[in-house]
Amino acid sequence: MKRILMTLALFGLVSTTALAHRLDEYLQATILSIEPGSVHAVMRLVPGVAVAAGVIASIDSNHDGVLSPDEQHRYAERVLADLQLKEDGRSLLLHLASVTFPTVDHMKMGTGEIELAFSADLPAVRGEHQLVFENHHQRGISVYLVNSLVPQDKNLQLEAQSRNQNQSFYQVTLAEAGSVTAQSFTWSGLAGAFHLGVRHIAEGTDHLLFLLTLLLPAPLLALAGRWKGRTTVRNSLTQIVRIVTAFTLGHSLTLALSGFGLVRLPSQPVEVLIAVSILVSAIHAIRPLFPGREAIIAASFGLIHGLSFASALNELGVTGWYRLISVLGFNLGIEVMQLAVVTVTLPALLLLSRTRFYSAFRITGASFACVASCAWIVERVLDEPNPISQGIESLAHHGVMLAIVLWVSSAVAWMIQGQDHLVSPGSAAAYER
Amino acid sequence: MGESAWVRQTAANPALPAGGPGGSGFGMGPPGGFVGEQYGKAVWSNYPVSDVLRPGLQLGSLSVAQRDAAMHLLQSMLSPMGYQKVLDIMGSDQALSETGQPFCSGTACYTVGIFGEPSDNKPWMVEFGGHHLGLNIVIAGNNGVMTPTLTGAQPSVYQRDGKSVRVLAQENDKAFALLDELDGTQRKQAILNYEVDDLVLGPGHAGEQIQPEGLKASAMNDRQKALLLDVIAEWAGIVQSAYAGPRMEEVKAGLNDTYFAWSGPMTHRPGQNGSSYYRIQGPRIVIEFSPQGVGGDSTMHVHTIYRDPTNDYGVKFNGAE
Repeated sequence: MKRILMTLALFGLVSTTALAHRLDEYLQATILSIEPGSVHAVMRLVPGVAVAAGVIASIDSNHDGVLSPDEQHRYAERVLADLQLKEDGRSLLLHLASVTFPTVDHMKMGTGEIELAFSADLPAVRGEHQLVFENHHQRGISVYLVNSLVPQDKNLQLEAQSRNQNQSFYQVTLAEAGSVTAQSFTWSGLAGAFHLGVRHIAEGTDHLLFLLTLLLPAPLLALAGRWKGRTTVRNSLTQIVRIVTAFTLGHSLTLALSGFGLVRLPSQPVEVLIAVSILVSAIHAIRPLFPGREAIIAASFGLIHGLSFASALNELGVTGWYRLISVLGFNLGIEVMQLAVVTVTLPALLLLSRTRFYSAFRITGASFACVASCAWIVERVLDEPNPISQGIESLAHHGVMLAIVLWVSSAVAWMIQGQDHLVSPGSAAAYER
Repeated sequence: MGESAWVRQTAANPALPAGGPGGSGFGMGPPGGFVGEQYGKAVWSNYPVSDVLRPGLQLGSLSVAQRDAAMHLLQSMLSPMGYQKVLDIMGSDQALSETGQPFCSGTACYTVGIFGEPSDNKPWMVEFGGHHLGLNIVIAGNNGVMTPTLTGAQPSVYQRDGKSVRVLAQENDKAFALLDELDGTQRKQAILNYEVDDLVLGPGHAGEQIQPEGLKASAMNDRQKALLLDVIAEWAGIVQSAYAGPRMEEVKAGLNDTYFAWSGPMTHRPGQNGSSYYRIQGPRIVIEFSPQGVGGDSTMHVHTIYRDPTNDYGVKFNGAE
């Protein structure tokens, strides 16, 4: 068609107007992003002004001049059906990830760009593999471009690339240096994500502080807007398990949703909200705001913390099957570390709650959380650190020391309490005033 | 009106976009099928201004004094060679618009936008462009970065004051000179056996690094390497020497890992650009020269892109990623 137009142009039969736009061709440019375990692709389709009407008509199945989401989706699936992605001759299943359409007017002018994103799982096995991508969509009018990004994973090398004349056929050789078998590869991925999860909690002072602050009043009973008396050890434990489980459910849900790209929120407001969640639970530890409903609060704020976990997970930059493994491993790492911290602090907390010093301890701890959360809110809104937030950060490096201090002081408090019992037995229930 | 007064006026003008380089995201087009690239509030494209509106002030809306000040600002940021290149491209777009186009292509639609406050130490950006030009110049203290930049021409040859002007002629001729200098084995490496009918890393591809192809400069002799640098200088040297010098050093540092790839005829008619596509890709550079065969003579219409995949919009200086 290009050649015919050029010939016509020589005879002055084609006007030179609207030369700026793609005319008689349907440009389809694909960029493949190949990583161990998956292939992601972004395809941009721009119908030229002379072929746009035909392309629009083929999408607009009910001919109402509007491209409904349903029609867009069906068209995207049709494009996918015209593509082929093969590893060593085996066809890979393509999953549509997103579809973005321009306005019909822009398409008519030849300046509308349809963007399709899709992915496929790539069984990762040691050695060399041939990946083939073929595009036969609208072959009569199309101009094809296809390229691969340099892999993020340094173990994966793209070697020889070859294409046919019009780039409808593309082949690239993948070589996984130092890669292992599919099974142990998955295990190593799981282990890597697990460690990232553990580290994220160990270094994530804010997540820990939120949880610990929420646990502070767990051994107590709320009466008439104040923390009064204490509940049984059994009730305290049940309450703590409920809070931790609720927090886990909340953050697992959003971690999974955003881990798979189903939810995407800017990180700054999320980080600010996390600091706010600490402030709320700190105030609650001083005066009951939501007695008996701690689990619901933990679950709701867990949703926010999960969004932040997901952004840490993004550092791995993995996709597809490997992504699933990573989300799983990362979440397990978070849970294990969280449980470890609760297990270490819980006995000391329960012991301390049986003494008259608990009230002072609770108020001090909650006030500290108040100050810390306010410092974090300021830091995250202004996007620059302040002396208080920096101080807390360096204090957090001494987590083990803090745990020892907590244990020793609770033991000391218990011993003093024991002597008190000798003096005035039976007064324990009135300690929390 | 002096230059600084003009800058202040536009910077304070509510019609101008707020924010600065490093505003939000890293140079991808927003959803909605927009055929351009957006970085913060800055927008550019290879489509006419009427199709993809550039934020800022259009030259056609300015008084003569203001327009002179705008051009003077540009002149002070660019080398004499770069400034002349800009004038040649504007002349070509103007020539196209005078053939009666239904879209906005001429000089009056060229738009200048200032992003952030002009400052001695904080990064700020000037975007200048129209149909076939998208200059994005980030100034950060003593550093000046002109990536990404789109240049182009249609028609590639036009008459100005009775003389013939061939736009982007050096980009074309110097690349052919390098190709001519390659021996048979090197050419086999450099020449791709397939057609490349458009820019691969055009608007919307900031920061992307594709798997390189073609002849690696480590397999070139010194003379060929010098010719390759000569081609690159047509883009890197658009900005004034204080910015161009350090930029060429970055390119030289990665020269041995820089590839030269070619697709299309190996000759061109004298006095005309060729119809061949070429790409130069290294650790700190992407250049594509892409003749556009859209229903016309591809020797008369070309788009080019110039990027630094590690430092588009000077992200290295303003800390944005």
